[in-house]
Amino acid sequence: MQGILRIENASKSFQAPEGGVIRALDNVSLTVAHNEFLTLLGPSGCGKTTLLRAVSGFEDLDSGEIYIDGEPVSDQPAHKRPVNTVFQRYALFPHLTVERNVAYSLEVRGIAKTEIRERVGNMLELVGLAGMGARKIGQLSGGQQQRVALARSLVARPKILLLDEPLSALDKNLRHKMQQELKTLQHELGISFIFVTHDQEEALVMSDRIAVLNGGTIQQLDAPEELYRRPGNEFVARFIGESNLLDATVVSVEGESCDVVLADGTVIRDCPVNGLKRGDPAKVLIRPENLVESIGQSNPDERAGHQISGTVSQSFFAGTDYHLVLACKGLPPVRASLRAGPGTSHHTIGEQTSLFVPHDAVHLIPGQGAPA
Amino acid sequence: MSKAHHTLEHRRKLTLFGLLLPPSAFLAVFFLGPLAIMIVYSWLTPGLYGGVEWKFFHLNYGRILGWADTKYERFDPVYFEIFLRSVKLAATTVLLSLILCYPVAFWVSRMPEKRKNLVIFLITLPFFISLIVRLFAWVLILRPTGFFNQALMGLGLIDEPLEIIFTGTAVVIGMVYVFVPFMFLPLYASIEKLDLSLIEASQDLGANRLQTFFRVILPMTLPGIVGGSIIVFIPSLGNFIVPSLLGGAKVVMIGNLIEQQFLSARNWPFGAALGMMVMAAVLVLLLYYIRIVTREDRRSGAAKVAEEVAA
Repeated sequence: MQGILRIENASKSFQAPEGGVIRALDNVSLTVAHNEFLTLLGPSGCGKTTLLRAVSGFEDLDSGEIYIDGEPVSDQPAHKRPVNTVFQRYALFPHLTVERNVAYSLEVRGIAKTEIRERVGNMLELVGLAGMGARKIGQLSGGQQQRVALARSLVARPKILLLDEPLSALDKNLRHKMQQELKTLQHELGISFIFVTHDQEEALVMSDRIAVLNGGTIQQLDAPEELYRRPGNEFVARFIGESNLLDATVVSVEGESCDVVLADGTVIRDCPVNGLKRGDPAKVLIRPENLVESIGQSNPDERAGHQISGTVSQSFFAGTDYHLVLACKGLPPVRASLRAGPGTSHHTIGEQTSLFVPHDAVHLIPGQGAPA
Repeated sequence: MSKAHHTLEHRRKLTLFGLLLPPSAFLAVFFLGPLAIMIVYSWLTPGLYGGVEWKFFHLNYGRILGWADTKYERFDPVYFEIFLRSVKLAATTVLLSLILCYPVAFWVSRMPEKRKNLVIFLITLPFFISLIVRLFAWVLILRPTGFFNQALMGLGLIDEPLEIIFTGTAVVIGMVYVFVPFMFLPLYASIEKLDLSLIEASQDLGANRLQTFFRVILPMTLPGIVGGSIIVFIPSLGNFIVPSLLGGAKVVMIGNLIEQQFLSARNWPFGAALGMMVMAAVLVLLLYYIRIVTREDRRSGAAKVAEEVAA
């Protein structure tokens, strides 16, 4: 795939201050398509910011190469690369007005004043700051500063826009609003966005694809739905969304489906096989919201064994859902979110209850999985 | 409740007044008093054998600025020339110490915390030794048989010792040496505050090193540059120790001239008038500085209000 950005076998190590070497990037390869919104997601120290800084030109790679639009860029200093960055703390120039901040990249390129004025005006309008051009940066709210940073890095029409956790400083409501705006903006402009975040919810909402990083390697690169429904390993399963990961063994395989038995003896039939063979150990991923109180009499899953029974150890109401934690014999605590509808009711702590596991909502992760 | 508030306010004011009284009194007695004496003396008639006659006399200023034309008191452009020479020396000192300190301040500001503190300590170390001793050390270094010339001749770079000591060059070297710490500290303070991500942002937006320097680094560190320059300029304008020790008798600066008027010529009124000239020059400079600084303040003040409104 000839994308707008191709990263090949990128590796980078740092000397840790307390001695020793940190492998920030370990042989990372990645291709970003034209007009794609790709998110680098991972906990702090996973290498996502290092990867972004390698693309923007602020970090040299130990080995590997980065191609922007087919051109290798390792020899290009940051100011010559056709990418722009929205920094985490925005890094707006406090001594310049909003207008001059946005105009910066055009001014240093020596573009004519009239053209600058026009493009800056258009850009400010696009991000909803029309008429604020004469203000000083210090006179703006956090959300407005965010928009200036966005306008400043988009005005020169970069081939790729890099965003380094730009929403982390905003409060929750504003963050949600900006997520939608960013996505819309990316769609309208047709520029590829590479977005760095540690917030999995944010990544799911905005991205075309998400690269989950941990320990300097890409754990999985997939569309949000795929990542959520079929995580490739235990780390991804735990990092994205709420999860119950239960140890199990495959007891029989029949074509594309298999039966597994949990540690407490519960049998779950007809799970997607995911390359497993009879006798293989596996982790069963059950999302809390997929557990149900009842599936209806006619459903084959209401057969014996297809349910998890235990004592309610925690129970609280969260508006749309009831959240439960079930203590079951032989299993780790099982979390469940039950949709708060007319049919559901509050469970009291200490109550005995059973929850059903619909077979099509189960995902099997081969092996014992990587320790999380 | 309003009464409690009133008494609290009252006590706070009282405390503040109590704390401010001693330094205010000290300044009034030992600073404003002598200053008033100087102002008055500069308009009095010099006595024949030193001392003053209590009669209004404007020719002290006339001798410097150009309207004195009597038998005893004549305008002489030499005073103005000395004043200009001093301004030039002070400006040179400012410029050289700025060029010297700016890159060093950058370098130090990027050091790890421990080394940073050590370097700053080393830079302030000369303050622990008497200025006179340090200047005599320079005499030893710069004289024809001194370290500097011996080293250069030893390296075969020169055949004859250079004439440095008791010249203008020696004075400039000495002045820069004395005032470098005064330049370094304010410069360092503003460079240390400089947010490195702004430099990265500038490069990211396509600016090369030179553009980044002139568009971001220089304007952001301007308060430190202006502050350091003024702190160096003011004392170097009136400095008379360096010219008299390293310049021999050949290099007369306004500071030396004032010293002579008070101590050898015993013409206090004229010395006072010269002093007033120096002070006027300094005041103009300070007003300019205050204007720059208050402009900064007003801006950040408005920013604070905006933040509160936004919150």
